[in-house]
Amino acid sequence: MSDRVEAVKKLFTSKSSRVETNKGDTYYQDLFVKCEARLNEMRAQAPANRLDFSDLLEDNGIDRREFMKWASATTAMLMLPPMFTPLIADAVVMMNRAPVIWLELQDCAGNSEALLRADGPKIDEIVLDIISLEYHETLQAASGHQAEKQMEEAMELFKGKYILFVEGSIPMGMNGQYGTIGASGETFHDHLLRCAENAAAVVAVGSCATFGGIPAASPNPTGAVGVMDVVKNKPLINIPACPANPANMVGVILHYVLTGQVPELDSLLRPKFAFGYRIHDNCERRAHFDAGEYVEEWGDAGAQNNFCLYKMGCKGPMTFNNCSIVRYNEGVNWPIGVGRGCIGCSEPDFWDKYAYERPMADAKIKAPTGGVEKSVDEFGLGLLTATAIGIGIHAAASAVAGKKSGECEGESK
Amino acid sequence: MTIRKWIERIEGEASVQFEFEKNHVSFATIAFPHSRGMEAILQSKPAMDALVITPRVCGICGHSHLFAAVRAIESVYANCGAPVEISQKAESIRELTLTLELIQNHLKWLYLVIYPELSHLLQEKIADSCRLKGAYAASLATKILAIFAGQWPHSSYMIPGGVTCDPTHVDSIRAEGLLDELIRWFEKELIGITLDEYSHFSSDKAFLTVTGDMEKIEKMLKKAKMHEQGFSYDRYLAMGEHAFSKSSKWVNRRMAKVHSKFVTLEEPYSIGEKTYAKNALYQHNSFETGPLARAMIKGVPFIKQMYRQYQDSTYTRVMARSYEAALLLEHCKKLLHSINLEEPSYIKPLKKITALSGEGIGIVEAPRGSLIHSVILKNGIIDHYRLITPTQWNLSCGSPKTPGPAQKAMIGADSIETATFTFRSFDVCSVCTTH
Repeated sequence: MSDRVEAVKKLFTSKSSRVETNKGDTYYQDLFVKCEARLNEMRAQAPANRLDFSDLLEDNGIDRREFMKWASATTAMLMLPPMFTPLIADAVVMMNRAPVIWLELQDCAGNSEALLRADGPKIDEIVLDIISLEYHETLQAASGHQAEKQMEEAMELFKGKYILFVEGSIPMGMNGQYGTIGASGETFHDHLLRCAENAAAVVAVGSCATFGGIPAASPNPTGAVGVMDVVKNKPLINIPACPANPANMVGVILHYVLTGQVPELDSLLRPKFAFGYRIHDNCERRAHFDAGEYVEEWGDAGAQNNFCLYKMGCKGPMTFNNCSIVRYNEGVNWPIGVGRGCIGCSEPDFWDKYAYERPMADAKIKAPTGGVEKSVDEFGLGLLTATAIGIGIHAAASAVAGKKSGECEGESK
Repeated sequence: MTIRKWIERIEGEASVQFEFEKNHVSFATIAFPHSRGMEAILQSKPAMDALVITPRVCGICGHSHLFAAVRAIESVYANCGAPVEISQKAESIRELTLTLELIQNHLKWLYLVIYPELSHLLQEKIADSCRLKGAYAASLATKILAIFAGQWPHSSYMIPGGVTCDPTHVDSIRAEGLLDELIRWFEKELIGITLDEYSHFSSDKAFLTVTGDMEKIEKMLKKAKMHEQGFSYDRYLAMGEHAFSKSSKWVNRRMAKVHSKFVTLEEPYSIGEKTYAKNALYQHNSFETGPLARAMIKGVPFIKQMYRQYQDSTYTRVMARSYEAALLLEHCKKLLHSINLEEPSYIKPLKKITALSGEGIGIVEAPRGSLIHSVILKNGIIDHYRLITPTQWNLSCGSPKTPGPAQKAMIGADSIETATFTFRSFDVCSVCTTH
């Protein structure tokens, strides 16, 4: 048991899993000045497209007050203090100055569908509209050779400035012949390397692009890998999940426009503002877990009363993502809301390790308690200990945070 | 002269190679040079995994895949002497979410493909915001879907024996509110008359009352002479059994029963070009599947009337799909009202899934046509899984003697642009075609 406690302690105190919500007054003051300077610089640049943000807001019947509410929520999501809210609001207007090139590789286009406003709160949608998407194989107006030319031009014009979004895995089997693109039959691999070469940063969107996803599931017939396995020496951000949440895509772009930097990342290169907490931490059914009330089989009394889905194979306690807060389809719902457990789709190898109807104890997961457990109940016990320690650490952290935020109270008001 | 063209947008891309003779397309081949090997991934996995893997075949019609997978597993139960009982409520919710997926597909295709392509073809400018309008309507449909299914795309809320969700009255009121909003949008932006009037059209004369974007699209289709081209085999197939569609085939103006045992997969025709798509055939013949096929088989008066005048031209095909969106909206409304929340969401199957060995087949009507999943289980483990997607019927690539439906429809076109438009009238979904 003491080994376990040590292992859990290690897990929760390792540097990459720590979410620093308060970096101190000096840090934020410096950042504020930097951001202001950057925004002034961007204001001087010509917009890359004609869409005007305030016009679009008006067209959609959104008033300034509603927009500022969104801006302060987004500021909080990006883990910045409230004084950044006006900067965020300014940065949004400047989104059409951030050229984005979007590539679709070995995928199902599910993330593009998400970007197509399959979900995402209303203002996020408008922000997505005005992002200057220079090249997107799925959404673009041009097609065929015309589109290829358009992309070459965009890459040349915005050399070193564009953010490259990649959707889909890269098939490495059979010399990359499982996926080719364009009239020249260029492999996805070569295509990606060529487009990444002059990008300011590369963002892998969705679980296929980040970790290989479903195509990389055993036996990985096409030798699929994620972007980080092939793109080296570039700032890289992973936004996993299947599909990735558009709120997180917007967050990353906004952060880049605002600061010119990639947001703080965890050890798997995921932005901490979105992947810093576990699904379980903010789950609406969490109280039932703590009370030991579980759904034991589909359709039972527990299911009818929204009990915890852990024993039905829910991977919430092991999965880092913000869907329990942001939810899907404009916040309408999320899988746990309809009584289906989390499948851990934002974790590496989620398919082979986290498969959904197998309780965690039966899955091939290395549990935070140091190994695969024998039974669900035993595992639950270990996990409960982990949670308790987790809460302890959080409590300690927020005590410190409280002190710090007390110091900079002046600005936040 | 041979010209190769890339067809992109919406769901992956296809390569079409045109052959020209006397300024007309004499033949065209279709290739899909990418694949993920979904069937190989499904092999040796527990049966229930199909409910999570198969929706991820496609980002735009994944829900249809989920429905087909759950029907396939339930059919194994039935073939093992333990038929699964499903409550009327679960049945209605499943059909409701499928219908919503169809609607959002149709609207996205209309506003992100058809409308802009027509404007490109005729060099007539349309507002930039037009594209976004369709996406907005589609997001209303997916929001209703998410109330019951948790999220869209990629939900897995259907399970053998029913559904996992247990909606409350609040959920159903929210869904009704959103559906009303979607219908209002449809009436105001797309047709300019009431949905009730529109969905009861009996002749194409009635179309004169239509205003809104649909009027513009119809006029543009005629102007581009789409009613004079794009003719295919005039053979239709719809295999999924639903309240909104009938399972049958329509050949030589006659209806006949269908059975999945006559469906075969054949290697595509290709001249040195790599492609991962296999052709789907019925009794070794090409069939058109999708909204036009469903309308012909169901006997939708407005579309039948149109067919008498313009046969299976590109015009009829586009009109049939956009009209189906209206019929499905009506259907949704009825379904939503009919759901009795008191019924159980799930009825436990009599056998454990790990005790199942046998074959099963699940067929549904997906946005682009009939989707077939067939599975062989051994002690609950997938021994073999086969996917046949709608685009494998429509976009199959046959030889010059036996071209597929889209190939045949493109022959005779006077330019690559018009031929490409006809190709798009079947709608490309390459991620499904090769899976």
